[in-house]
Amino acid sequence: MSGGGRTVGAPPAPAPGAGPRDGRTTRRPPALRLLARPEVGVFLGAVAVLVFFLIAAPAVRQGGSMATVLYQSSTIGIMALPVALLMIGGEFDLSCGVAVITSALTASMLSYQLTLNVWTGVLAALAASLAVGALNGWMVVRTGLPSFLVTLGTFLILQGVNLAVTKLVTGNVATDDVSDMDGFGQAKKVFASSFDVAGVQVRITVLWWLVFAALATWVLLRTRYGNWIFAVGGDQDSARAVGVPVRFTKITLFMLVGLGAWFVGMHNLFSFDTVQSGEGVGNELIYIAAAVIGGCLLTGGYGSAIGSLFGAFMFGMVNQGIVYAGWNPDWFKAFLGVMLLGAVLINLWVRRTATRR
Amino acid sequence: MNHDGTGIPGVALPGAPAPKDTPLVELRRAGKSYGNVRALYGVDLVVRAGRVTCVLGDNGAGKSTLIKIISGLHRHTEGDFLVDGRPVRFGTPRDALDQGIAAVYQDLATVPLMPVWRNFFLGSELTRGRRPLRRLDIPRMKETADRELRRMGIVLDDLEQPVGTLSGGQRQCVAIARAVHFGARVLILDEPTAALGVKQSGVVLKYIAAARERGLGVVFITHNPHHAYMVGDHFSVLRLGTLELSAERCDTTLDQLTDHMAGGAELATLKHELSQVHGVDLDAVPEGLGDTFPEGTT
Amino acid sequence: MDRSSRSGSRTSVPLVAVVAAAALALTGCSSGHGGKKAEQAEANAAAGKADTPRMTVALVTHQAPGDTFWDTVRKGAEAAAAKDNIKLVYSADPNAGNQANLVQNAVDQKVDGIAVTLAKPDALKSVLARAERAHIPVVGLNSGLADWKRLGLLEFFGQDESVAGEAFGRKLNTAGAEKVVCVVHEQGNVGLTQRCDGLRKTFEGTTETLYVNGADMPSVRATITAKLKQDTSIDTVVTLGAPFAATAVRSVDDAGSKAKVATFDLNKDLVTAVRDGSVEFAVDQQPYLQGYLAVDALWLYKYNGNYSGGGVAPVLTGPAFVDRSDVGEVAGFAAKGTR
Repeated sequence: MSGGGRTVGAPPAPAPGAGPRDGRTTRRPPALRLLARPEVGVFLGAVAVLVFFLIAAPAVRQGGSMATVLYQSSTIGIMALPVALLMIGGEFDLSCGVAVITSALTASMLSYQLTLNVWTGVLAALAASLAVGALNGWMVVRTGLPSFLVTLGTFLILQGVNLAVTKLVTGNVATDDVSDMDGFGQAKKVFASSFDVAGVQVRITVLWWLVFAALATWVLLRTRYGNWIFAVGGDQDSARAVGVPVRFTKITLFMLVGLGAWFVGMHNLFSFDTVQSGEGVGNELIYIAAAVIGGCLLTGGYGSAIGSLFGAFMFGMVNQGIVYAGWNPDWFKAFLGVMLLGAVLINLWVRRTATRR
Repeated sequence: MNHDGTGIPGVALPGAPAPKDTPLVELRRAGKSYGNVRALYGVDLVVRAGRVTCVLGDNGAGKSTLIKIISGLHRHTEGDFLVDGRPVRFGTPRDALDQGIAAVYQDLATVPLMPVWRNFFLGSELTRGRRPLRRLDIPRMKETADRELRRMGIVLDDLEQPVGTLSGGQRQCVAIARAVHFGARVLILDEPTAALGVKQSGVVLKYIAAARERGLGVVFITHNPHHAYMVGDHFSVLRLGTLELSAERCDTTLDQLTDHMAGGAELATLKHELSQVHGVDLDAVPEGLGDTFPEGTT
Repeated sequence: MDRSSRSGSRTSVPLVAVVAAAALALTGCSSGHGGKKAEQAEANAAAGKADTPRMTVALVTHQAPGDTFWDTVRKGAEAAAAKDNIKLVYSADPNAGNQANLVQNAVDQKVDGIAVTLAKPDALKSVLARAERAHIPVVGLNSGLADWKRLGLLEFFGQDESVAGEAFGRKLNTAGAEKVVCVVHEQGNVGLTQRCDGLRKTFEGTTETLYVNGADMPSVRATITAKLKQDTSIDTVVTLGAPFAATAVRSVDDAGSKAKVATFDLNKDLVTAVRDGSVEFAVDQQPYLQGYLAVDALWLYKYNGNYSGGGVAPVLTGPAFVDRSDVGEVAGFAAKGTR
């Protein structure tokens, strides 16, 4: 609790709590209030990184390069969105990186082994992804254990299941090529095609990413469900006490992560025709990083969906910018770390400035 | 008053039902055991419209268990729990809310990081439009929150500010105003003054009085007999999980209340012993010393 | 507050998804093309089986989970085990310390022979000494060409990564490449680094290195695309693992580059790519052969005292180049996942 605050007690008729405006009270200027939005820091960081690479790497200035940066950002960003919502809701999902591959494997193997239209596999994968999310959520609300532990378990389980089942079913550790099967072309159009914008080939995931980001932001800030997300992450017990369906909210948040994993998994499948069962490990940290850079509090209850968009963009920009700049690749990871740390510091500085009283 | 669907038919309005009518909430020989531990037993409690029922007791006396039963967080394991004369068993706080019973917890009152207006409507948000486009009616929510808060005498210049930046008293008041707005007939206040300074406590006590004037039944839980005596109509003192005293205001005095709070007979014996051993001036023994008195001194 | 409608939709959303999926599956949206039916692979011709008493062999590798390459090694080992009446115990861990524990585990079980990869030879030194004291014959495979003799192994089956890299470089010279980018999918992996270094040694043009995140295909694709855009003079992309070659082909497409793709290692999708010309050539170290020979050698040693290379020379399983002219020969085997 941080002191008396900026409030004014003006006496009504029976005058409870009356008192003159005390000396400590000041209104925050509108500009500062804007800065206090969780995504402003990461927005400035993203702009800084973009400007930096526009200057440092001439190749970035071509339209096509930006399309590549946005493509990589989008595959991170589509997952970072539900991960951000979940984090605002006070939980983690460490299994989300391998869940992407689980989804792709399910669709690929089911269609191939049973020789079905790939759309059947796509829907089955959706059901499987949602089920994994629901299971994660159910275990978390049921046991009350930290989601970090629960999803660490599912992370390992999925990693093993991905490998073992793929090996069992296909005899290999990668799935078979599904590109000549019925419905593939259609599915590829939805999940992995590109379209032309002023002569530049932009991948469709970029479009989906923007649509999903707008949708997630709307849900978070403008709907009842969004209000609940903030509440269950901010103070679960208070939320329950005023009648927020905490369990429902948390389980559906985990299922949203499943939905994201399904989408990215489908993109992987229809973009590369086959799936390597060992992939995806480590990506969960990238998604979480994008959400945190995007202004989500690790402890929950605060953050933004649109912020994760800028977070993912920053990650993609740095990742590709270093290649475009032609820097010594041995240093790649180090550059990446420094840039990200810098971005987080800018973010932190902005937030401090904005909330300083 | 706007009840937004959570209101209950027959809400007690100011000056409506006389205290003799069926109580809003009644506990008869109610109790609660957690496994082998009997946290509460044999408790009778009556809450009437337009009256403040104070529940007093030291830490561990069973106050929290009592409030959790009435507000639907826990189920009672013995005795009867009646609302409007009908026995009930609540499964969730939502059930209690639907019956017009709202609890305002000491620590659980609000979500600190959320703006005031979002907190005000949390769990009962106003919406407009149809699914899937149903969305929050933000202007109406802000306007209503501001109006209701003003009616309780809280004027905030920025409803977007997180509740966590308000003072403790103000946070309690936001929670109380919220409960009143959503058609609460029975308001349960869990230690609303415990963490507050003198001035802030005064603010909260005035709201309690205001709520009573509006015809609500108030359960005021506290361990401070002074605060209780300032607003209470009926006093129930809990001690070690059961009732030590249940008395109307006209039948008791602040001194008696303090005595019972402190352990009544035990305290009298203690005072007597002290006066013999050390010649302590009886009037100088602080109130509420009770069983927390250091053992080494006797 | 309309509780009923909310709780209704709570259950109905997942339900609808499940029902929809089930309905689709039941109505049998079957595919007219591809799939398992098209595969219809012929069963392997049953090989004759040895009548020697059953023995146990442990194969301990440094495989990272889900690597197609090691899958092929393991298939070779299993084939030899089935033929020789051997019980094969396979275990793997990319972490050298853990791999040493796995070898120790095999020694404790008193197996009849151990086949081990020496990715980090010194970490295995003490457990291999223990195996020797327990009189368990040990053979090496895949990695450790420089160290197997020093560590007292009986024989070795593999490819010298540097030699493979050098051969790759010479092949690029004849193909007329001038600037290549070597795509490393696991930063810090010794074998991968040796491949690039070997290539750099013999290749007469310029060689650049590019690190990508091998666990994330979209990222690999974007990164290679970015590199091709940044440096348009690159005429060949060299990948160090088969799955990445297919992705590199897509990147070349994305970048609108004319660069060619060549790769180390082989899998069945790559065979198709080599045949249709999208991948120039692949250099194969014959992982199946490595696994097969290692297990078979232990059987020969136990029942006939034979050992290849006379205990001084390694048995080289590569590099063998596969390009358009000879891809037809391996295509059938690759389809079974054994090449």
